[in-house]
Amino acid sequence: MLALQLTLTGLQAGALYALTAVGFSLIFGSTRVFHFAHGATFALAAYLFYAVEAAGYGFVPGLLASFAGAIAFGLAIDWFIYRPIQRDEGSFFTVFVASFGIGIVVQNLIGIFFGRSFVTITSPLSRAREVLDGVYVAPLAGIAFVVALICLLALGFFLRTTFTGKGLRALSDDPELVRVFGLNPRYLSAAAFAIGSALVVPAAVFTSMSSGLNPAIGHHVMLISLAATIVGGIGSIPGTMIAAFIFGLAENLSLLWFEPQWSEAVVFAILFAAIIARPSGLMGKSAAR
Amino acid sequence: MAETLIEVQGLHAGYKGHAVIEDIDLSLNPNEVLCLIGHNGAGKSTLLKCMFGLLPRMQGNVRYGGGLTHEQVALVPEGKGVFPSLTVAENFDLGLDAAKIKGAERAARVDWVLGVLPQIREFLHRRAGTLSGGQAQMVSIGRALLKRPRVLIMDEPSIGLAPKLFQDLLGPIRALQQAEGLTILLVEQNVREALKVSDRVAVMKQGRMVWHGTPSELSNDRLMELY
Repeated sequence: MLALQLTLTGLQAGALYALTAVGFSLIFGSTRVFHFAHGATFALAAYLFYAVEAAGYGFVPGLLASFAGAIAFGLAIDWFIYRPIQRDEGSFFTVFVASFGIGIVVQNLIGIFFGRSFVTITSPLSRAREVLDGVYVAPLAGIAFVVALICLLALGFFLRTTFTGKGLRALSDDPELVRVFGLNPRYLSAAAFAIGSALVVPAAVFTSMSSGLNPAIGHHVMLISLAATIVGGIGSIPGTMIAAFIFGLAENLSLLWFEPQWSEAVVFAILFAAIIARPSGLMGKSAAR
Repeated sequence: MAETLIEVQGLHAGYKGHAVIEDIDLSLNPNEVLCLIGHNGAGKSTLLKCMFGLLPRMQGNVRYGGGLTHEQVALVPEGKGVFPSLTVAENFDLGLDAAKIKGAERAARVDWVLGVLPQIREFLHRRAGTLSGGQAQMVSIGRALLKRPRVLIMDEPSIGLAPKLFQDLLGPIRALQQAEGLTILLVEQNVREALKVSDRVAVMKQGRMVWHGTPSELSNDRLMELY
């Protein structure tokens, strides 16, 4: 029964990791910007929801504030940090260091405003109920899983059928050719940041209502997202999604054999094994295209 | 005489502050096929990028005349000018979207292109990354034609193609040029084949324009000397 319990928890965690990792993969795949501050977007979205909800304004205003904050933050970083660096022909590493620095600044600002201790939003939906003998599931876990799947399916539909979606896939293939086609790479880059940042919001909100928050939450989520992007195959959204579910399950099922503090090590052991066995990732370009 | 469509005067352009082409003068007249030849590194692609607006000028002018707008100019880039993860139909969709072509006109344009290059029908729903070099080149030209351009700029369309395949590709384009008054600027390494379909020739060497005239004026000896 413990294995079933951990599998269900792992699926919920995997779904939430998938949203964050797919957002990162979409941004990195389309723009080739190593947006390490994506974890800061997650933390910011989660704490904005927490602040509005804790102030008594309710769920919907909290959700809207979270979406607005995440999208504005993603667009602002693209516009005010990454583009000036790229305009001056700054290297990939310059962008990465800038992004890493933003993550640390945001983490510290959150610590200053909200404190460094653990905070959470309590809701009747977060209370676990016994669904099978010895298996406890909170309604929020099921809701989070379904919402994450709907978001991922909607993203897939968006990328296949809309002008912007096809444009983002094109930008991922060949940025120079995008201009030859007459498409606007700046618009597409902004769209990638807006959509990728918006994808973290459901994950951030459900995390604040279930496992809770601390200022370093974005760092942990970003490490998992990064690992999922590499194992899934750089730029492959389906691959990233599958890898995120693998990590969510592995992190939780590892508790059958290891202490909780080793769960992150399990994720990285899988990452190293995957890199050695399949360097291009599960569905990386050399394998899938 | 009709007004020149694209006039290049005293053009200097390059990358990272370093000029690759210098003092280029070139004119593209209506309804002609102008062939631009030269060695690798002569600056042909740089010139095309400037003429299409992909690369900023360092000095000089590129002027569109005769009512020509940027929307009426299409570029077939060097290499596989298709997005490999998209299907051929999606590549076409994206070209139509970028050109802001809507409604029934979209289907009409695709039908017209499939009339010019009927082989594309066979792989219209295949992912472009799975196409052969010749098929991808055909799709790239088809995508450019969707704009119904007045000027078609083609950058080395023969790369990676067998000579027979290149002739098969040039045939319909030349027919279209004559039937619809299309103006073509063709950059080619396959000089013999390119000269057969050209009205004028311009030769570039080490970033400069060194000769221009008609194919008949370009004798073998002169070609060897310039090339």
